[in-house]
Amino acid sequence: MRRGVAFLVIGLAAVVLAFSGCAGDRPVEEPIIEPDIVDETTALTGDDLPLAEQPEDAIYVEPVASVFQDIHFEFDRYNILAEDEVTLGSIARWLEENDRVTVLIEGHCDERGTNEYNMALGEQRALAARRYLVGLGIASDRLSTISYGEERPLDMGSTEHAWAMNRRAHFVVSE
Amino acid sequence: MSKTLFRATIAIILAAAVMAATPRHAAAPEVRLSIQKGFGEKVIVSIPLFVGSGTGGADAAGIRDVLSFDLANSGYFSITENVEFVDETEEDDRRSGGIDFQEWLALGAEILVKGTFEAGLSEFVLEATVYDLAQGKGIFARRYTGAPADWRRAVHRLSDDIVNRLTGETGIADSRIAFVSNATGSKEIYVMDYDGENRKRITRDSQIAMYPAWFPGNERIAYTRYRGARQEVYAVGVESGGTARLTSFPGLNAFPDVSPRGNEILMTLSRDGNPEIYRVGSDGSSPRRLTFGRSTESSPCWSPDGRRTAFVSDRAGTPQIYVMSVSGGTCERLTFKGYYNTSPDWSPRGDLIAYTSKIEGVFQICTVDVETKEVVRLTTGPAQKEDPTWASDGRHLVYSSKTGGKSDLYMIDIYELDPIKLTSGAGDYLSPAWSK
Repeated sequence: MRRGVAFLVIGLAAVVLAFSGCAGDRPVEEPIIEPDIVDETTALTGDDLPLAEQPEDAIYVEPVASVFQDIHFEFDRYNILAEDEVTLGSIARWLEENDRVTVLIEGHCDERGTNEYNMALGEQRALAARRYLVGLGIASDRLSTISYGEERPLDMGSTEHAWAMNRRAHFVVSE
Repeated sequence: MSKTLFRATIAIILAAAVMAATPRHAAAPEVRLSIQKGFGEKVIVSIPLFVGSGTGGADAAGIRDVLSFDLANSGYFSITENVEFVDETEEDDRRSGGIDFQEWLALGAEILVKGTFEAGLSEFVLEATVYDLAQGKGIFARRYTGAPADWRRAVHRLSDDIVNRLTGETGIADSRIAFVSNATGSKEIYVMDYDGENRKRITRDSQIAMYPAWFPGNERIAYTRYRGARQEVYAVGVESGGTARLTSFPGLNAFPDVSPRGNEILMTLSRDGNPEIYRVGSDGSSPRRLTFGRSTESSPCWSPDGRRTAFVSDRAGTPQIYVMSVSGGTCERLTFKGYYNTSPDWSPRGDLIAYTSKIEGVFQICTVDVETKEVVRLTTGPAQKEDPTWASDGRHLVYSSKTGGKSDLYMIDIYELDPIKLTSGAGDYLSPAWSK
């Protein structure tokens, strides 16, 4: 399953903790390290330790789940909203740094349209996200699209909030 | 169908004597019956219990129920209501060994259908004779033979023959409806008789199957299915269940509609980066793009002459119905009322296109006249209705209707506007497609 691959990438990302200044605007959790209590009575020595080997092309890989956030749409629309441009920028940057990864973009709708038109609208949402990423320099053959219309709602409710959550493009990463 | 055409066709009725069985939908007899009806007036039929016996599902009451439903639903007939008098008159006939035409006329009937049946273990046989009561003569007689499980179908055929022989119109009782149901948890394609009986599951993909469309001959159905992370168009055999993949382009492979000749399929593909209308071979080969632009083009359907298509486009800012040649070229916008008009289906008669229109926040079923662009609203009420599909008579539609979070299928006669619920039970019933 694609999702399984995505989790694997997250796991790798957690291991690779070499840093570069690429944290985006999201806070990065740093482990809290308690300082060792130094025993004053022991004689102080200093020994050289071998440096941990760093692979030369090591880069910071942000955990995938935090990069590939859903983007959302207005009712019956498929234009990219200004508030999602930061997310798409982060996705493009991540894809540039992980150039063997391909992405399936799923387009989804809320339940209010007709079944057939929602299928076409969902595809337009996925294609709009794809066009935006291609515009940021990502090769189009790394980005495939699929529409689920109203078939796979995230929130089963029939409220404004549920509909807003369901009008989305969702990114599935695979290698 | 225009109202004047209806008036002309219903005036036909008569054959000289009891006729031998002839092929279905044979040309109407040349001699005219005595009965003449104006638009909306019904021919009154009496149906006494058929004489017979046997095992299995068929019995006299069941046969009469099916035939009564079929004839009344056709829109051309009404059934004499007083069953007690009908049964008494039939008993008198049996005692005398003849037919007391005056007694049947006294019940208000114009047409009488008498019959016998034999429901055996390996065969079901139905024989019926149809009489013109005013002339005291038989119009035709036929025998229907089939498997015991097909007894309803035999009665449906009798009904279609009565409709065809007495009105010249095509009967729809022996037709089927393909649809999508999620009753098993995944959306699959099913088929049922036009009256909701004999439901049969066709696909076992365990993913999402959608948008069934019949091939001519009604032996195969094209549909959209998901396979992994791809959308593809498949064909499935209704009896065999055998499948063949037709298209698997990147992106949308949606809304297949098979041409009247069966050699081509219209569908929506997004392989060029935008949802556009394409025409492909019936095996999925040689896709030919018909629309060019940045708008969303979807839901194409064929005109009955195979020359044009009606489809949905949002090129004017909202989804509307357009018509164009299947060779491409300029489009003509058909719908101007409302801001959300989708899922067109072109009447087999060629004159009307049925579609879904959002009216005061509720999706309703409408028709638009292809020539005059006159819109007629067919449904009312708060249920969300969509996806109309025409019967071959160009008079009946089936659509899905959602209330309380559940969708069911309904049939409506566009002249009588009296929806009949066809489905019940767990799950949703969606995307109906009437056999050709």
